[in-house]
Amino acid sequence: MDRETLRRLELLNQLKLTEEQKEEITAFFDCREKDLAVLNAIDTSQTERQVHVMPIMTVVREDIASQPFTVEELQKGAPDTDQGYWCVPRVVE
Amino acid sequence: MNYETVIGLEVHVELATKSKIFCSCNAKYGAGPNEHVCPACCGMPGMLPVVNKRVVDYGMKAGMMLNCHINRTTTFDKKSYYYPDLPCAYQTTQWFAPVAVNGTVEIETSKGKKNIRIKQIHMEEDAGKLVHDIAEDTTHVDFNRTSVPLIEIVSQPDLSSAEEVEAYLERLKMLLRYAKVAECAMEHGTMRCDVNLSVRPEGSDQLGVRTEMKNMNSIEAIKHAIEYETARHIDAIENGTEVLVQETRRWDDIKGKSFAMRNKETAGDYRYFPDPNLMPVVIDDAWYDSIQASLPELPEEKYARYTEQLGLSEYDAAQLVKSIALCECFEAAHAVCGSAKDAANWMISEIMSILNQRKMTYDMLNINGTSLGELIKLVMDGTVGRANGKKILNAMFEDASIVPAEYAEKNGYIMSNDTGLIEQVVKAAIEAEPKAVADYKGGKEKAIMSIFGRCMKELKGNCDPQTLRTILIDTINKM
Repeated sequence: MDRETLRRLELLNQLKLTEEQKEEITAFFDCREKDLAVLNAIDTSQTERQVHVMPIMTVVREDIASQPFTVEELQKGAPDTDQGYWCVPRVVE
Repeated sequence: MNYETVIGLEVHVELATKSKIFCSCNAKYGAGPNEHVCPACCGMPGMLPVVNKRVVDYGMKAGMMLNCHINRTTTFDKKSYYYPDLPCAYQTTQWFAPVAVNGTVEIETSKGKKNIRIKQIHMEEDAGKLVHDIAEDTTHVDFNRTSVPLIEIVSQPDLSSAEEVEAYLERLKMLLRYAKVAECAMEHGTMRCDVNLSVRPEGSDQLGVRTEMKNMNSIEAIKHAIEYETARHIDAIENGTEVLVQETRRWDDIKGKSFAMRNKETAGDYRYFPDPNLMPVVIDDAWYDSIQASLPELPEEKYARYTEQLGLSEYDAAQLVKSIALCECFEAAHAVCGSAKDAANWMISEIMSILNQRKMTYDMLNINGTSLGELIKLVMDGTVGRANGKKILNAMFEDASIVPAEYAEKNGYIMSNDTGLIEQVVKAAIEAEPKAVADYKGGKEKAIMSIFGRCMKELKGNCDPQTLRTILIDTINKM
C-alpha cells in the first residue's frame, strides 16, 4: 500500500495516524496484497457468486408501524439535546 | 463545433410503506422531532436490522414495471460515510446484488420515442435531517427520516436533453404511481434526483468530464440546471473559462447557477462491504409470482381498452390515463352508471376542472368512484339536474362519505315533475319581465333567456330545461 492511498483512507475514516501506525498498517496491507494476488490468479468467471457461507436467508417482518420508545427515553444518554433534537457541533459554516 | 450532452440520472423515490425499512418505526412524514425513532434507526450499539417485507415487494414491483431482471437473491451492503445525519456512520444500501437490474423505460419527446436503459434499482435507507438555523453553534438532528425506505433508480447515460429528462421523470412517476409503490411528489421530497452530466463533441464515443448535481427536487429546476451546466461545460471546453473537474455541485434555483460542493466521490471512497447483520433476501417462485400477479394494467393498455372496448374518444382516453387515481374513479363510476361516455365526460369536464381550481394534482383525487357513478346515474335519469349535480359533486370533494341521492333529497335538489308549479313560476316570471316578453315577441329570440333564468332560479334548478322552455314559450305565445 502506497502512502497516498493510506493518506486518503486516513482522511475518509477521519483518523490521525502516527508514523509508527502508518508503517505498521502499510506492512500489514503489503502482506495481504500478496495473499490477494494468489486468490486473484484463480479464474472465477464461471463461478456463481456466493453471498453467504451458509445456505441461510434473512427473515422479513410485516409492514406494521409501532412506536415503543418516547423521545425522552431515547435521549436519556445524550450529551446535548434541545426541543426533542439531538445537538451536535455545527457542521456548516 | 456541435456538442451533445450526456446525462444519467439517479432518482431516489421514497416508498409508500407504513413502517421504516429495518425497524417498525412509523415512516410517515410530519411528526415532531425524533418522535418516529427507536434504538435501531438512531444507531444505538447492539441493535439489529430486520427487513420490512413490503420494501422488497415494492422494490421488485418497481423493477418489473421498468422491465428489469429481478435478482432472486439480493443482498444489503454498508456504504461508509461520516456525517451527523447518518447515526450508524454507514448507510445500509445495495451494491453487490441490487434487487433489480438491466431494465428499460420508453419515453416520448418531440423527436419521437426512445428507450432509456436502467442500470439498476436498489433498496436503501434514507438519512436524517439536519437543522442549522435553530442555534448558532450547534446543528440540531432529527432522525425521523432515518431508515425511511427508498429505492434508487440508476439510469445509464442515455439522456441527452432537458426535454428527455423531463419525459423520463414523468414516465417514472406515472409507472410507480400506477404500481402504487410511491407517491413520487417532488414537491414533498418523496422523489429526488441527482443529475450526472457531461458534454462531448457530437459523434464522439468518449465521455467528457462528469459533474453531479444532487438532490434536485423539481422538474423545472432540473431543466434549468441542465441548460446551465451544458452551457458552462461548452464554455469551458471552447473558451477555457475554467478547468472542468469531476465534482459534486449544488444547484441554486434563485441565482440560476450551480456551485462546486466537493470532489466527486468514487465507489471506492464509500468502502462498500456486505452487511453482516442482514442475511441474503431470497425471493422464491411463490413470492416472485405474487408480485408479478399484482402488477397493474399499464397506461397504454388502459388507453387501448378505453378506446377499443368502451368507445371513448382518443382525447378522453388520453386525459384519463394521465393518472391511476383518475382511471380508478372513472372505472368505478362507469361500473355503476353504465355509460362510459357520461362517466368520462364528468371526469374530464367536472372533476378535472374542480381539481385544477383547488390546485390539487390528479393523484390527490379523493372522490369515491362508486358515489360518482350514483350521482351520474341520478343526472342521467333526470332525478337531479346537471347544475345541481355539480353542486353535489363539489360537496363530495368536501365530504367523501356523501351519498348523492340522500344529499340531493336533503338539499332539495330532486327534479320537479309538477307542471302546475312550473306554470305558476313561469307566469310570475313573465309578469316580472315585461320588457323581455315584448322583445321576444318583437323577434329577439334571445330575450327569453332572462325569463328562463329567473324561472330556473326560482325552481332551484330542479326542472328539466326542455320542459321549462316549452311551457315558457307556450305561455308567451298565448298572451
